[in-house]
Amino acid sequence: MSMRITLGQFIATDSPIHRLDPRTKVCAALVAMVSVFFIHTPAQLVLGFAFVLAAVALARVPAHRLLESIVPLVAVIALLSLFNLLLTNTGDVLATLGPLSITDDGVRAAVLYSLRLVIGVLAGMLLLLTTTPAQLTDAFDALLAPLARLGLHAHELAMVFSLMLRFIPTLANEASTLADAQTARGGALGEGSPIKRVRAVVPLVVALLASSLHHANDLSRALDARCYEGGAERSHWHPLRMRRSDWAALALTVAYIAALIALR
Amino acid sequence: MGGGGQLLTDGCRADGRAPGAAARLEHVTLRYESGTQALEDVSLEVAQGERLCVLGANGSGKSTLASVLCGLLAPDEGSVQLVGHHVFDATRPQPIDFDAYRTARRSLGLVFQNPDDQIVTTIVEEDVAFGPENLGVPAEEIGRRVERELRRVALSDYAKADPTRLSGGQKQRVAIAGALAMEPRLLVLDEPGALLDVRGRQAILRVMGRLQRAGTTIVHITHFMDEALEADRVVVLERGRVILEGPPAEVFSHHDAIASLGLEEPFSARLALRLSLPWTCDDSTLERAILDAAQPPQTPSGTSPAPVAKAAGTRNPASSRHDTPPALRVEHVSFAYDRRKNALDDVSFEVAQGASVAIVGQTGSGKSTLLRLLCALEAPDRGRIYVGNVCTTRKRDRRRLHGSIGYVMQHPERQLFAETVLEDVSFGPQNLGLTPDEVRHRCHKALDLVGLTGLDDASPFELSGGQQRLCALAGILAMEPRVLVLDEPTAGLDPRGRRGLRAILEDVRRHGITIVQVTHSMEDAAHADHVIVLDQARVLLEGTPAEVFSVAHEELLTGAGLGLPLPLAWALRLERAGHPLLGAPLTLGELVRALKRGGAPCP
Repeated sequence: MSMRITLGQFIATDSPIHRLDPRTKVCAALVAMVSVFFIHTPAQLVLGFAFVLAAVALARVPAHRLLESIVPLVAVIALLSLFNLLLTNTGDVLATLGPLSITDDGVRAAVLYSLRLVIGVLAGMLLLLTTTPAQLTDAFDALLAPLARLGLHAHELAMVFSLMLRFIPTLANEASTLADAQTARGGALGEGSPIKRVRAVVPLVVALLASSLHHANDLSRALDARCYEGGAERSHWHPLRMRRSDWAALALTVAYIAALIALR
Repeated sequence: MGGGGQLLTDGCRADGRAPGAAARLEHVTLRYESGTQALEDVSLEVAQGERLCVLGANGSGKSTLASVLCGLLAPDEGSVQLVGHHVFDATRPQPIDFDAYRTARRSLGLVFQNPDDQIVTTIVEEDVAFGPENLGVPAEEIGRRVERELRRVALSDYAKADPTRLSGGQKQRVAIAGALAMEPRLLVLDEPGALLDVRGRQAILRVMGRLQRAGTTIVHITHFMDEALEADRVVVLERGRVILEGPPAEVFSHHDAIASLGLEEPFSARLALRLSLPWTCDDSTLERAILDAAQPPQTPSGTSPAPVAKAAGTRNPASSRHDTPPALRVEHVSFAYDRRKNALDDVSFEVAQGASVAIVGQTGSGKSTLLRLLCALEAPDRGRIYVGNVCTTRKRDRRRLHGSIGYVMQHPERQLFAETVLEDVSFGPQNLGLTPDEVRHRCHKALDLVGLTGLDDASPFELSGGQQRLCALAGILAMEPRVLVLDEPTAGLDPRGRRGLRAILEDVRRHGITIVQVTHSMEDAAHADHVIVLDQARVLLEGTPAEVFSVAHEELLTGAGLGLPLPLAWALRLERAGHPLLGAPLTLGELVRALKRGGAPCP
């Protein structure tokens, strides 16, 4: 059992997308991801792909890195298209398999709904590949700042988010080492009945909790030593600034949404 | 570490500046809520530009002192001045001046043991910028500092890298750069090398040397005495008290006191003592003294008769006696986590029944992967591994092996989970399906073996660090494995802890158990029966210590980020300076005997 999780897989290159203000990228990516659910026609699908692939081309990230990120989702997407294929009853029947029938609407849905998800995944990945976690934190911090008046600690939330990105791989690594150690002691992780499985995972969870507390203790020492005070005024090495290219990118995003609606 | 003293995170009050030293502690006493006395009547002054080394065994109060010095913990008694601020004074009505603490902390830097926990972002340069950002340093100035500090720790090429993909030593240098970018007037390094391999530790020492020359005030806390040699002044702590203080040469000359602390003297000092030469810990002084004491050469006979190790890949019949089958047999094993790079590439070797084997190699050479495969946690991609007669390729067979091959992971204390020591130790035996009586019997035997008798009902989380490790080890020994596989079992322990663990492993071996351990100490490796050197996923060298650690392999080993064991390195040094040949001593005892013989070649 070996888990290798990488998050925040920022690729350091210089591109128009890399240079955009992180707030622009977060907004555009969120819009692109949500827009996916309004794609219902092939023309819209083409438009969606055109929009996201244009961004990919501009970002100059290696294609295999993007493909790698989609691979784990292939199973989910395949399952989804299978459901669509078998459970859609409207339209002309093309073939029957016992109680199930495949219709032309079903085929359409299977292709369309799985492909439109790919657009959303690509948009999200592109954001992670071209934006550093610190930039993401700053963007969320700035975007959520208006909510501070409602009592939301935007800055702290953003900081927690960034620390999470930092520590998930560390803890995943540790979990995998602990799982090894317990397997070597005859622990039956992932074997037997559900009750057995739950019981076998308890030692792992307790050990992982203990070690998380240890990390948390050390981390708070490190944050104090580096004079981090939640909510206090701090400077930024790369202050956020909206440039002309940012406004252009936002305008393009709006234009994309308008076109998507027009093609309905 | 539990609560204790008084944690300083927020609060505010009047300002109190005081001139003078970088830090001044007077009669400082600190005890934790649990009642442990961490510091007792400690008076200490750190001068501007000084490099001070604080030495002490585990539990001597070193880390507490570090926290007090960098303004993260206030004591209970005495007075504390940090970078000119009078932060604590027990005689004041309000002893803690939070505001002064806050101001002082802006000029204090801390780097501690675990590099993973000090890096807060996923890009190296942004992590270095984090501190200055918190101080409100202007953007252009941050850029300058980030560049300057990364250059200073020799990581300029890694500015955009993901720190989790760096080696431990590199991560620790990122942490140092992060502290330096805040331009502290006092930098506290709390055991920065404890979790690193030799190369990582040397790099940290080089950085420290550079800082010392640049006039940075450094307090370096460590239990490696050889790291203290470069310091201007050494302070030795025991049970929270300062018991020795002065220049390194003077402090280390109190060898009786040092020995009673369980600290280990620098190799050169131990050698001088054993040769009854005037005490010194300076390498060149000792070299001259030995050469002067040596008798005139008695016709040296050619070159050292150093045996030659087998080239990598060839069979080594020496390790497998023909009467018993080998305990482990690895045949042309390759393994990869992803397609890009092999973690192991065509590795073959055998381990004889009851042998003790050391695997050495730098970070990323494939050691940990090899251990995972040996412990039947995964099957090789190509090739076969046999544990006794059982091949690890099939899952059912691997499952069967988990009782007979014990795996002690790195920092095994992290796997403790149960409410009591006994419960934790019995986890493995219970999984083997033994009767409750047999489980209990085995657990007690294992606890006796590691010296934790009578602690059955204690909580494993309340044991000391060293005891936790022994408890985890007992949990594996209680399964009565035929082969024990350990990943850097002594990492992070102080010399006394290391000696204790070595003695236990010796004991285990006398019970006929085969031991395979990954180590980054060449001296430990020199004590094994058989040494396997891994480099870049392949076996670089293998053989007996005498075969592997030979003059002929000096360059090969250095190239692989390793070195020769110190006794051998010293013998070479002396021979090159004109001393008669000394053979190839691998232990201090052998070197001393060779020197006393006056340098006749070893039989």
